[in-house]
Amino acid sequence: MRAALALQGYEFDEAQIAEITLQFSRIESVAQIVLDWPLPFASEAAEVFRP
Amino acid sequence: MIGAAADIVRQIRDGTWSARAVLTQATARIESQNPGLNCFTALTFERASREAAAIDALRARGQPLPPLAGVPYAVKNLFDIAGLATLAGAKVNAGNAPAAADAPLVARLHRAGAVLVGALNMDEHAYGFTTENSHYGTTRNPHDRTRVAGGSSGGSAAAVAAGLVPISLGSDTNGSIRVPASFCGVFGLKPTYGRLPRSGTFPFVHSLDTLGPFARTVTDLAAAYDALQGPYPGDPACAQRDVEPVSASLTLPHGIRIGILGGWFHEWADPAARRAVQLAASALGATLTVDFKSAAAARAAAFVITAAEGGALHRARLVTQYDAYEPLSRARLVAGSLIPASWVVQAQRVRRQVFTEALGLFDRFDLLLAAAAPVVAPLIGTEILAVNGRSLPSRASLGLLTQPISCIGLPVCTAPLWPGDADAALQCRGLPMGVQLIGAPWREDICLAAAAALERAGVAGPRLPVDS
Repeated sequence: MRAALALQGYEFDEAQIAEITLQFSRIESVAQIVLDWPLPFASEAAEVFRP
Repeated sequence: MIGAAADIVRQIRDGTWSARAVLTQATARIESQNPGLNCFTALTFERASREAAAIDALRARGQPLPPLAGVPYAVKNLFDIAGLATLAGAKVNAGNAPAAADAPLVARLHRAGAVLVGALNMDEHAYGFTTENSHYGTTRNPHDRTRVAGGSSGGSAAAVAAGLVPISLGSDTNGSIRVPASFCGVFGLKPTYGRLPRSGTFPFVHSLDTLGPFARTVTDLAAAYDALQGPYPGDPACAQRDVEPVSASLTLPHGIRIGILGGWFHEWADPAARRAVQLAASALGATLTVDFKSAAAARAAAFVITAAEGGALHRARLVTQYDAYEPLSRARLVAGSLIPASWVVQAQRVRRQVFTEALGLFDRFDLLLAAAAPVVAPLIGTEILAVNGRSLPSRASLGLLTQPISCIGLPVCTAPLWPGDADAALQCRGLPMGVQLIGAPWREDICLAAAAALERAGVAGPRLPVDS
Protein backbone atom coordinates (compact mmCIF):
# COMPACT_ATOMS: atom_id res chain seq x y z
CA MET A 1 0.00 0.00 0.00
CA ARG A 2 2.74 2.47 0.90
CA ALA A 3 4.59 1.80 -2.36
CA ALA A 4 1.40 2.15 -4.40
CA LEU A 5 0.55 5.44 -2.70
CA ALA A 6 4.07 6.78 -3.25
CA LEU A 7 3.94 5.75 -6.92
CA GLN A 8 0.84 7.92 -7.36
CA GLY A 9 2.43 10.85 -5.53
CA TYR A 10 0.46 10.66 -2.29
CA GLU A 11 1.82 11.47 1.18
CA PHE A 12 -0.46 10.41 4.04
CA ASP A 13 -0.18 9.89 7.78
CA GLU A 14 -0.70 6.51 9.42
CA ALA A 15 -4.39 7.03 10.18
CA GLN A 16 -5.10 8.05 6.61
CA ILE A 17 -3.17 5.07 5.24
CA ALA A 18 -5.18 2.76 7.49
CA GLU A 19 -8.47 4.18 6.17
CA ILE A 20 -7.35 3.94 2.54
CA THR A 21 -6.16 0.37 3.14
CA LEU A 22 -9.60 -0.52 4.53
CA GLN A 23 -11.28 1.00 1.49
CA PHE A 24 -8.94 -0.81 -0.88
CA SER A 25 -9.61 -4.11 0.83
CA ARG A 26 -13.35 -3.54 0.34
CA ILE A 27 -12.82 -2.85 -3.37
CA GLU A 28 -10.61 -5.94 -3.65
CA SER A 29 -13.26 -8.04 -1.97
CA VAL A 30 -15.95 -6.91 -4.43
CA ALA A 31 -13.56 -7.14 -7.38
CA GLN A 32 -12.70 -10.78 -6.77
CA ILE A 33 -15.62 -12.10 -8.81
CA VAL A 34 -14.48 -9.98 -11.76
CA LEU A 35 -10.90 -11.20 -11.48
CA ASP A 36 -12.07 -14.82 -11.33
CA TRP A 37 -14.62 -14.48 -14.17
CA PRO A 38 -13.82 -16.84 -17.05
CA LEU A 39 -13.40 -14.97 -20.32
CA PRO A 40 -12.30 -16.17 -23.74
CA PHE A 41 -9.17 -14.49 -25.11
CA ALA A 42 -11.26 -12.97 -27.88
CA SER A 43 -13.55 -11.05 -25.53
CA GLU A 44 -13.06 -7.32 -25.87
CA ALA A 45 -13.50 -4.53 -23.38
CA ALA A 46 -16.61 -2.37 -23.53
CA GLU A 47 -15.11 0.82 -24.90
CA VAL A 48 -16.75 4.08 -25.88
CA PHE A 49 -14.07 5.21 -28.33
CA ARG A 50 -15.47 5.33 -31.87
CA PRO A 51 -13.06 6.80 -34.40
CA MET B 1 -47.23 22.27 -3.41
CA ILE B 2 -46.44 23.20 -7.01
CA GLY B 3 -48.73 21.47 -9.51
CA ALA B 4 -47.86 19.03 -12.26
CA ALA B 5 -46.01 20.41 -15.27
CA ALA B 6 -48.79 19.35 -17.62
CA ASP B 7 -51.32 21.35 -15.58
CA ILE B 8 -49.05 24.39 -15.44
CA VAL B 9 -48.58 24.40 -19.22
CA ARG B 10 -52.31 24.03 -19.81
CA GLN B 11 -53.17 26.85 -17.40
CA ILE B 12 -50.61 29.19 -18.93
CA ARG B 13 -51.88 28.36 -22.42
CA ASP B 14 -55.51 29.02 -21.54
CA GLY B 15 -54.67 32.16 -19.58
CA THR B 16 -55.79 30.86 -16.19
CA TRP B 17 -52.31 31.60 -14.90
CA SER B 18 -49.23 33.49 -16.02
CA ALA B 19 -45.72 32.09 -15.96
CA ARG B 20 -44.80 34.83 -13.48
CA ALA B 21 -47.60 33.74 -11.14
CA VAL B 22 -46.42 30.13 -11.34
CA LEU B 23 -42.90 31.26 -10.56
CA THR B 24 -44.11 33.30 -7.60
CA GLN B 25 -45.80 30.20 -6.19
CA ALA B 26 -42.70 28.09 -6.77
CA THR B 27 -40.32 30.54 -5.14
CA ALA B 28 -42.62 30.91 -2.12
CA ARG B 29 -42.75 27.15 -1.72
CA ILE B 30 -38.98 26.87 -2.05
CA GLU B 31 -38.38 29.63 0.49
CA SER B 32 -40.72 28.03 3.02
CA GLN B 33 -39.68 24.37 2.62
CA ASN B 34 -36.06 24.37 1.51
CA PRO B 35 -34.54 25.44 4.84
CA GLY B 36 -35.82 22.23 6.43
CA LEU B 37 -34.91 19.98 3.52
CA ASN B 38 -31.70 21.48 2.09
CA CYS B 39 -32.44 20.60 -1.51
CA PHE B 40 -30.95 23.70 -3.12
CA THR B 41 -27.37 24.97 -3.12
CA ALA B 42 -28.10 27.97 -5.36
CA LEU B 43 -31.22 29.84 -6.40
CA THR B 44 -31.55 31.47 -9.82
CA PHE B 45 -34.69 33.52 -9.27
CA GLU B 46 -33.51 36.52 -11.33
CA ARG B 47 -32.90 34.31 -14.33
CA ALA B 48 -36.18 32.52 -13.66
CA SER B 49 -38.00 35.83 -13.61
CA ARG B 50 -36.58 36.72 -17.04
CA GLU B 51 -37.51 33.30 -18.45
CA ALA B 52 -41.04 33.49 -17.06
CA ALA B 53 -41.48 37.01 -18.45
CA ALA B 54 -40.40 35.77 -21.88
CA ILE B 55 -43.08 33.07 -21.78
CA ASP B 56 -45.76 35.57 -20.79
CA ALA B 57 -44.59 37.87 -23.58
CA LEU B 58 -44.88 35.04 -26.11
CA ARG B 59 -48.45 34.40 -25.06
CA ALA B 60 -49.30 38.09 -25.07
CA ARG B 61 -48.15 38.24 -28.71
CA GLY B 62 -50.32 35.26 -29.57
CA GLN B 63 -47.34 33.11 -30.52
CA PRO B 64 -47.25 29.35 -29.98
CA LEU B 65 -45.93 28.29 -26.57
CA PRO B 66 -43.22 25.64 -26.27
CA PRO B 67 -44.05 22.27 -24.66
CA LEU B 68 -42.85 23.11 -21.12
CA ALA B 69 -43.83 26.76 -21.15
CA GLY B 70 -43.49 28.28 -17.70
CA VAL B 71 -42.67 25.03 -15.89
CA PRO B 72 -40.24 25.63 -13.00
CA TYR B 73 -37.37 23.14 -12.77
CA ALA B 74 -33.99 22.75 -11.09
CA VAL B 75 -30.85 20.75 -11.82
CA LYS B 76 -28.29 18.80 -9.83
CA ASN B 77 -25.36 21.09 -9.24
CA LEU B 78 -23.06 19.16 -11.57
CA PHE B 79 -24.88 20.71 -14.56
CA ASP B 80 -23.32 23.88 -15.96
CA ILE B 81 -25.52 26.91 -15.42
CA ALA B 82 -24.22 30.02 -17.18
CA GLY B 83 -22.80 32.42 -14.62
CA LEU B 84 -22.46 29.91 -11.75
CA ALA B 85 -19.50 27.79 -10.72
CA THR B 86 -20.36 24.12 -11.25
CA LEU B 87 -19.93 22.64 -7.78
CA ALA B 88 -20.59 18.93 -8.31
CA GLY B 89 -21.14 18.94 -4.56
CA ALA B 90 -17.51 19.81 -3.86
CA LYS B 91 -15.79 22.57 -1.95
CA VAL B 92 -12.76 22.17 -4.22
CA ASN B 93 -14.87 23.38 -7.15
CA ALA B 94 -16.37 26.40 -5.44
CA GLY B 95 -13.57 28.68 -6.65
CA ASN B 96 -13.78 27.56 -10.26
CA ALA B 97 -14.70 30.07 -12.93
CA PRO B 98 -18.44 30.42 -13.55
CA ALA B 99 -19.76 28.32 -16.41
CA ALA B 100 -19.70 30.26 -19.67
CA ALA B 101 -22.83 28.55 -20.98
CA ASP B 102 -25.62 26.24 -19.92
CA ALA B 103 -25.13 22.50 -20.27
CA PRO B 104 -26.84 21.24 -23.46
CA LEU B 105 -29.66 19.62 -21.47
CA VAL B 106 -30.29 22.86 -19.55
CA ALA B 107 -30.31 24.70 -22.87
CA ARG B 108 -32.82 22.18 -24.24
CA LEU B 109 -35.18 22.69 -21.30
CA HIS B 110 -34.81 26.45 -21.76
CA ARG B 111 -35.79 26.07 -25.41
CA ALA B 112 -38.76 23.99 -24.30
CA GLY B 113 -39.92 26.95 -22.22
CA ALA B 114 -39.03 25.65 -18.76
CA VAL B 115 -37.91 28.11 -16.08
CA LEU B 116 -34.73 27.35 -14.12
CA VAL B 117 -35.06 28.16 -10.40
CA GLY B 118 -31.81 26.76 -9.02
CA ALA B 119 -29.11 24.14 -8.50
CA LEU B 120 -29.58 21.10 -6.29
CA ASN B 121 -27.53 19.33 -3.63
CA MET B 122 -25.71 16.05 -4.24
CA ASP B 123 -23.04 13.75 -2.86
CA GLU B 124 -19.61 15.19 -3.58
CA HIS B 125 -18.62 14.39 -7.17
CA ALA B 126 -21.61 11.99 -7.29
CA TYR B 127 -19.72 9.37 -5.24
CA GLY B 128 -22.43 8.33 -2.81
CA PHE B 129 -26.02 7.16 -2.44
CA THR B 130 -27.22 9.37 0.43
CA THR B 131 -26.56 13.11 -0.22
CA GLU B 132 -24.91 13.45 3.15
CA ASN B 133 -22.63 16.25 2.05
CA SER B 134 -20.15 17.52 4.65
CA HIS B 135 -19.71 20.85 2.83
CA TYR B 136 -23.25 21.75 1.80
CA GLY B 137 -25.24 19.77 4.37
CA THR B 138 -27.43 16.70 4.22
CA THR B 139 -30.55 16.74 2.06
CA ARG B 140 -33.40 15.41 4.16
CA ASN B 141 -36.10 13.04 3.01
CA PRO B 142 -39.43 14.90 2.62
CA HIS B 143 -41.33 11.86 3.94
CA ASP B 144 -39.25 11.55 7.11
CA ARG B 145 -36.69 14.22 7.76
CA THR B 146 -34.60 11.94 9.96
CA ARG B 147 -33.86 9.83 6.88
CA VAL B 148 -31.65 10.35 3.85
CA ALA B 149 -33.06 11.43 0.50
CA GLY B 150 -30.80 9.01 -1.34
CA GLY B 151 -28.10 10.02 -3.76
CA SER B 152 -26.22 11.13 -5.42
CA SER B 153 -29.08 13.15 -6.96
CA GLY B 154 -30.72 13.58 -3.55
CA GLY B 155 -31.58 17.26 -3.96
CA SER B 156 -33.19 16.54 -7.33
CA ALA B 157 -35.47 13.82 -5.95
CA ALA B 158 -36.33 15.59 -2.71
CA ALA B 159 -37.18 18.88 -4.46
CA VAL B 160 -39.70 17.08 -6.67
CA ALA B 161 -41.08 14.97 -3.82
CA ALA B 162 -41.61 18.06 -1.67
CA GLY B 163 -43.43 19.86 -4.47
CA LEU B 164 -40.81 22.59 -4.84
CA VAL B 165 -40.53 21.95 -8.58
CA PRO B 166 -42.47 19.55 -10.83
CA ILE B 167 -39.36 18.50 -12.79
CA SER B 168 -35.66 18.21 -12.00
CA LEU B 169 -32.55 16.78 -13.61
CA GLY B 170 -30.03 14.41 -12.10
CA SER B 171 -27.32 11.99 -13.11
CA ASP B 172 -27.04 8.24 -12.69
CA THR B 173 -23.73 6.39 -12.80
CA ASN B 174 -24.58 3.48 -10.50
CA GLY B 175 -28.09 4.31 -9.35
CA SER B 176 -27.96 8.02 -8.55
CA ILE B 177 -31.36 8.71 -10.13
CA ARG B 178 -33.01 5.41 -9.19
CA VAL B 179 -31.99 5.24 -5.51
CA PRO B 180 -33.14 8.78 -4.58
CA ALA B 181 -36.30 8.37 -6.67
CA SER B 182 -36.97 5.24 -4.63
CA PHE B 183 -36.27 6.86 -1.26
CA CYS B 184 -38.23 10.06 -2.01
CA GLY B 185 -41.19 8.45 -3.76
CA VAL B 186 -41.05 10.04 -7.21
CA PHE B 187 -40.63 8.81 -10.77
CA GLY B 188 -37.13 8.88 -12.23
CA LEU B 189 -35.78 7.96 -15.64
CA LYS B 190 -32.28 6.69 -16.30
CA PRO B 191 -32.18 6.52 -20.09
CA THR B 192 -30.03 4.12 -22.10
CA TYR B 193 -26.33 4.90 -21.76
CA GLY B 194 -25.53 7.25 -24.63
CA ARG B 195 -29.08 8.50 -25.17
CA LEU B 196 -28.58 12.00 -23.73
CA PRO B 197 -25.43 14.13 -24.02
CA ARG B 198 -23.40 14.63 -20.83
CA SER B 199 -21.50 17.64 -22.16
CA GLY B 200 -21.51 20.60 -19.79
CA THR B 201 -21.75 18.43 -16.71
CA PHE B 202 -19.05 17.56 -14.19
CA PRO B 203 -18.09 13.95 -14.99
CA PHE B 204 -17.72 11.09 -12.53
CA VAL B 205 -17.23 7.87 -14.53
CA HIS B 206 -17.27 8.43 -18.28
CA SER B 207 -17.90 4.73 -18.94
CA LEU B 208 -21.17 4.81 -16.98
CA ASP B 209 -22.42 8.40 -16.56
CA THR B 210 -26.02 8.99 -17.67
CA LEU B 211 -28.33 11.97 -17.18
CA GLY B 212 -32.09 11.99 -16.73
CA PRO B 213 -35.20 13.61 -15.26
CA PHE B 214 -37.33 13.24 -12.12
CA ALA B 215 -41.05 14.08 -11.91
CA ARG B 216 -44.17 13.41 -9.84
CA THR B 217 -46.15 12.06 -12.79
CA VAL B 218 -45.20 9.87 -15.74
CA THR B 219 -46.69 12.41 -18.14
CA ASP B 220 -44.32 15.06 -16.81
CA LEU B 221 -41.37 12.67 -16.83
CA ALA B 222 -42.04 11.77 -20.47
CA ALA B 223 -42.49 15.42 -21.46
CA ALA B 224 -39.15 16.32 -19.89
CA TYR B 225 -37.46 13.34 -21.53
CA ASP B 226 -38.84 14.27 -24.94
CA ALA B 227 -37.50 17.80 -24.54
CA LEU B 228 -34.06 16.47 -23.55
CA GLN B 229 -33.55 14.07 -26.45
CA GLY B 230 -31.55 14.60 -29.60
CA PRO B 231 -28.06 14.04 -31.01
CA TYR B 232 -25.09 16.02 -29.74
CA PRO B 233 -21.73 15.40 -31.43
CA GLY B 234 -19.82 17.06 -28.57
CA ASP B 235 -20.27 13.98 -26.37
CA PRO B 236 -18.40 11.00 -27.85
CA ALA B 237 -20.62 8.58 -25.93
CA CYS B 238 -23.83 10.16 -27.22
CA ALA B 239 -25.45 7.82 -29.72
CA GLN B 240 -26.51 10.62 -32.11
CA ARG B 241 -30.02 9.20 -32.42
CA ASP B 242 -32.89 11.35 -33.56
CA VAL B 243 -35.58 12.30 -31.07
CA GLU B 244 -37.90 9.35 -30.44
CA PRO B 245 -40.88 10.97 -28.67
CA VAL B 246 -42.62 8.94 -25.99
CA SER B 247 -45.24 11.32 -24.59
CA ALA B 248 -47.92 10.30 -27.05
CA SER B 249 -47.45 6.56 -26.52
CA LEU B 250 -47.60 5.88 -22.79
CA THR B 251 -49.58 2.69 -23.27
CA LEU B 252 -48.17 -0.80 -22.89
CA PRO B 253 -48.44 -2.89 -26.05
CA HIS B 254 -50.76 -5.89 -25.89
CA GLY B 255 -49.03 -9.14 -25.11
CA ILE B 256 -46.05 -7.51 -23.46
CA ARG B 257 -43.80 -10.08 -21.79
CA ILE B 258 -42.68 -9.06 -18.32
CA GLY B 259 -40.16 -10.94 -16.19
CA ILE B 260 -39.42 -10.52 -12.48
CA LEU B 261 -35.71 -10.56 -11.76
CA GLY B 262 -34.91 -13.19 -9.13
CA GLY B 263 -31.58 -14.47 -7.86
CA TRP B 264 -29.34 -11.54 -6.90
CA PHE B 265 -32.27 -9.11 -7.05
CA HIS B 266 -34.34 -11.20 -4.62
CA GLU B 267 -31.41 -12.05 -2.36
CA TRP B 268 -30.47 -8.38 -1.81
CA ALA B 269 -34.02 -7.04 -1.45
CA ASP B 270 -35.46 -6.84 2.04
CA PRO B 271 -39.13 -7.73 2.69
CA ALA B 272 -40.37 -4.21 1.88
CA ALA B 273 -38.46 -4.17 -1.40
CA ARG B 274 -39.74 -7.63 -2.31
CA ARG B 275 -43.29 -6.56 -1.49
CA ALA B 276 -43.01 -3.52 -3.75
CA VAL B 277 -41.89 -5.72 -6.65
CA GLN B 278 -44.73 -8.12 -5.91
CA LEU B 279 -47.28 -5.28 -6.00
CA ALA B 280 -45.92 -3.98 -9.29
CA ALA B 281 -45.76 -7.45 -10.83
CA SER B 282 -49.32 -8.19 -9.80
CA ALA B 283 -50.60 -4.93 -11.30
CA LEU B 284 -48.75 -5.60 -14.56
CA GLY B 285 -49.78 -9.26 -14.72
CA ALA B 286 -46.20 -10.52 -14.44
CA THR B 287 -45.78 -14.00 -13.00
CA LEU B 288 -42.53 -15.38 -14.42
CA THR B 289 -39.29 -15.06 -12.47
CA VAL B 290 -36.07 -14.90 -14.44
CA ASP B 291 -32.50 -15.12 -13.21
CA PHE B 292 -29.93 -12.66 -14.54
CA LYS B 293 -27.10 -15.03 -13.67
CA SER B 294 -24.26 -12.56 -14.09
CA ALA B 295 -25.77 -9.82 -11.94
CA ALA B 296 -23.12 -10.20 -9.23
CA ALA B 297 -20.35 -9.92 -11.80
CA ALA B 298 -22.04 -6.91 -13.40
CA ARG B 299 -22.30 -5.19 -10.04
CA ALA B 300 -18.66 -5.95 -9.27
CA ALA B 301 -17.53 -4.72 -12.69
CA ALA B 302 -19.42 -1.46 -12.18
CA PHE B 303 -17.87 -1.13 -8.72
CA VAL B 304 -14.31 -1.58 -10.06
CA ILE B 305 -14.79 0.68 -13.08
CA THR B 306 -16.33 3.37 -10.89
CA ALA B 307 -13.61 3.25 -8.26
CA ALA B 308 -10.82 3.27 -10.84
CA GLU B 309 -12.19 5.96 -13.17
CA GLY B 310 -13.37 8.14 -10.31
CA GLY B 311 -10.05 7.78 -8.54
CA ALA B 312 -8.08 8.51 -11.70
CA LEU B 313 -10.20 11.60 -12.43
CA HIS B 314 -9.43 13.11 -9.03
CA ARG B 315 -5.94 11.76 -8.31
CA ALA B 316 -4.04 14.96 -9.10
CA ARG B 317 -6.20 17.08 -6.79
CA LEU B 318 -6.31 14.38 -4.11
CA VAL B 319 -2.49 14.58 -3.97
CA THR B 320 -2.58 18.29 -3.16
CA GLN B 321 -6.05 18.94 -1.67
CA TYR B 322 -7.02 15.72 0.14
CA ASP B 323 -8.28 17.57 3.21
CA ALA B 324 -10.69 19.64 1.12
CA TYR B 325 -12.41 16.54 -0.24
CA GLU B 326 -15.51 14.92 1.26
CA PRO B 327 -14.47 12.96 4.37
CA LEU B 328 -17.12 10.33 3.61
CA SER B 329 -15.63 9.36 0.24
CA ARG B 330 -12.07 10.68 -0.15
CA ALA B 331 -10.34 7.53 1.13
CA ARG B 332 -12.45 5.47 -1.29
CA LEU B 333 -11.40 7.75 -4.15
CA VAL B 334 -7.72 7.38 -3.27
CA ALA B 335 -8.10 3.61 -2.97
CA GLY B 336 -9.73 3.58 -6.39
CA SER B 337 -6.81 5.43 -7.92
CA LEU B 338 -4.57 2.54 -6.84
CA ILE B 339 -6.52 -0.18 -8.69
CA PRO B 340 -4.29 -2.10 -11.12
CA ALA B 341 -5.01 -1.54 -14.81
CA SER B 342 -5.51 -5.28 -15.30
CA TRP B 343 -8.54 -5.18 -12.99
CA VAL B 344 -10.14 -2.36 -14.95
CA VAL B 345 -9.58 -4.03 -18.31
CA GLN B 346 -10.99 -7.27 -16.94
CA ALA B 347 -14.02 -5.41 -15.57
CA GLN B 348 -14.68 -3.81 -18.97
CA ARG B 349 -14.43 -7.23 -20.64
CA VAL B 350 -16.83 -8.72 -18.09
CA ARG B 351 -19.15 -5.82 -18.77
CA ARG B 352 -19.34 -6.60 -22.47
CA GLN B 353 -19.92 -10.31 -21.85
CA VAL B 354 -22.65 -9.63 -19.29
CA PHE B 355 -24.34 -7.27 -21.73
CA THR B 356 -24.55 -10.10 -24.25
CA GLU B 357 -26.21 -12.32 -21.65
CA ALA B 358 -28.69 -9.58 -20.76
CA LEU B 359 -29.65 -9.11 -24.41
CA GLY B 360 -30.61 -12.79 -24.38
CA LEU B 361 -33.12 -12.06 -21.62
CA PHE B 362 -34.83 -9.61 -23.95
CA ASP B 363 -35.44 -12.40 -26.45
CA ARG B 364 -37.89 -13.75 -23.87
CA PHE B 365 -39.07 -10.56 -22.16
CA ASP B 366 -39.84 -6.97 -23.11
CA LEU B 367 -39.54 -5.61 -19.59
CA LEU B 368 -37.85 -6.71 -16.38
CA LEU B 369 -38.80 -5.79 -12.81
CA ALA B 370 -36.58 -5.40 -9.75
CA ALA B 371 -36.52 -3.30 -6.60
CA ALA B 372 -34.57 -0.05 -6.91
CA ALA B 373 -32.91 -0.32 -3.49
CA PRO B 374 -32.30 -3.08 -0.98
CA VAL B 375 -34.16 -1.17 1.77
CA VAL B 376 -36.30 1.92 2.31
CA ALA B 377 -34.46 5.17 3.07
CA PRO B 378 -32.05 4.64 5.99
CA LEU B 379 -31.71 7.06 8.87
CA ILE B 380 -29.21 9.87 8.34
CA GLY B 381 -25.79 8.77 9.58
CA THR B 382 -26.34 5.05 9.03
CA GLU B 383 -22.93 3.41 8.65
CA ILE B 384 -23.89 -0.26 8.41
CA LEU B 385 -26.78 -1.53 6.36
CA ALA B 386 -28.57 -4.72 7.41
CA VAL B 387 -30.12 -6.60 4.48
CA ASN B 388 -31.79 -9.91 5.25
CA GLY B 389 -29.47 -10.54 8.18
CA ARG B 390 -26.26 -9.51 6.43
CA SER B 391 -24.33 -6.34 7.25
CA LEU B 392 -22.73 -4.08 4.63
CA PRO B 393 -21.15 -0.60 4.57
CA SER B 394 -24.21 1.54 3.92
CA ARG B 395 -22.94 4.29 1.64
CA ALA B 396 -21.24 1.92 -0.82
CA SER B 397 -24.01 -0.67 -0.87
CA LEU B 398 -27.30 1.11 -1.52
CA GLY B 399 -26.73 0.55 -5.23
CA LEU B 400 -26.60 -3.23 -5.02
CA LEU B 401 -29.73 -3.56 -7.16
CA THR B 402 -29.10 -0.68 -9.54
CA GLN B 403 -25.44 -1.24 -10.40
CA PRO B 404 -25.89 -4.48 -12.37
CA ILE B 405 -28.35 -2.68 -14.67
CA SER B 406 -26.43 0.56 -15.27
CA CYS B 407 -23.24 -1.45 -15.74
CA ILE B 408 -24.69 -2.59 -19.05
CA GLY B 409 -26.43 0.66 -19.91
CA LEU B 410 -30.07 -0.44 -19.95
CA PRO B 411 -32.88 2.14 -19.68
CA VAL B 412 -34.84 2.14 -16.42
CA CYS B 413 -37.84 4.03 -15.13
CA THR B 414 -38.19 3.92 -11.36
CA ALA B 415 -41.76 3.97 -10.11
CA PRO B 416 -42.58 4.75 -6.46
CA LEU B 417 -44.68 2.26 -4.48
CA TRP B 418 -45.70 2.27 -0.82
CA PRO B 419 -45.42 -1.31 0.41
CA GLY B 420 -45.79 -0.44 4.08
CA ASP B 421 -49.25 0.99 3.52
CA ALA B 422 -50.54 -2.45 2.57
CA ASP B 423 -48.60 -4.46 5.13
CA ALA B 424 -48.03 -3.08 8.62
CA ALA B 425 -45.62 -5.93 9.42
CA LEU B 426 -43.07 -4.37 7.07
CA GLN B 427 -42.75 -1.43 9.48
CA CYS B 428 -42.24 1.13 6.74
CA ARG B 429 -45.62 2.83 6.64
CA GLY B 430 -45.38 6.18 4.90
CA LEU B 431 -42.05 5.37 3.27
CA PRO B 432 -41.72 4.72 -0.46
CA MET B 433 -39.86 1.96 -2.26
CA GLY B 434 -39.03 2.22 -5.94
CA VAL B 435 -39.37 -0.53 -8.50
CA GLN B 436 -37.07 -0.57 -11.52
CA LEU B 437 -38.89 -1.03 -14.84
CA ILE B 438 -36.02 -2.16 -17.06
CA GLY B 439 -36.13 -2.16 -20.83
CA ALA B 440 -33.93 -3.34 -23.67
CA PRO B 441 -31.51 -0.73 -25.02
CA TRP B 442 -33.29 2.32 -26.47
CA ARG B 443 -36.73 1.15 -25.24
CA GLU B 444 -37.39 3.96 -22.78
CA ASP B 445 -40.90 4.00 -24.26
CA ILE B 446 -41.70 0.61 -22.73
CA CYS B 447 -40.23 1.57 -19.34
CA LEU B 448 -42.33 4.72 -19.24
CA ALA B 449 -45.46 2.97 -20.50
CA ALA B 450 -45.14 0.42 -17.69
CA ALA B 451 -44.75 3.24 -15.15
CA ALA B 452 -47.85 4.89 -16.60
CA ALA B 453 -49.76 1.62 -16.29
CA LEU B 454 -48.82 1.38 -12.60
CA GLU B 455 -49.77 5.02 -12.11
CA ARG B 456 -53.17 4.56 -13.79
CA ALA B 457 -53.80 1.46 -11.66
CA GLY B 458 -53.18 3.52 -8.53
CA VAL B 459 -50.27 1.28 -7.56
CA ALA B 460 -47.44 3.78 -8.08
CA GLY B 461 -47.26 7.50 -7.54
CA PRO B 462 -46.11 10.17 -5.13
CA ARG B 463 -47.64 10.94 -1.74
CA LEU B 464 -47.80 14.27 0.00
CA PRO B 465 -44.70 14.93 2.12
CA VAL B 466 -45.04 15.16 5.89
CA ASP B 467 -44.96 18.96 6.19
CA SER B 468 -47.31 19.85 3.35
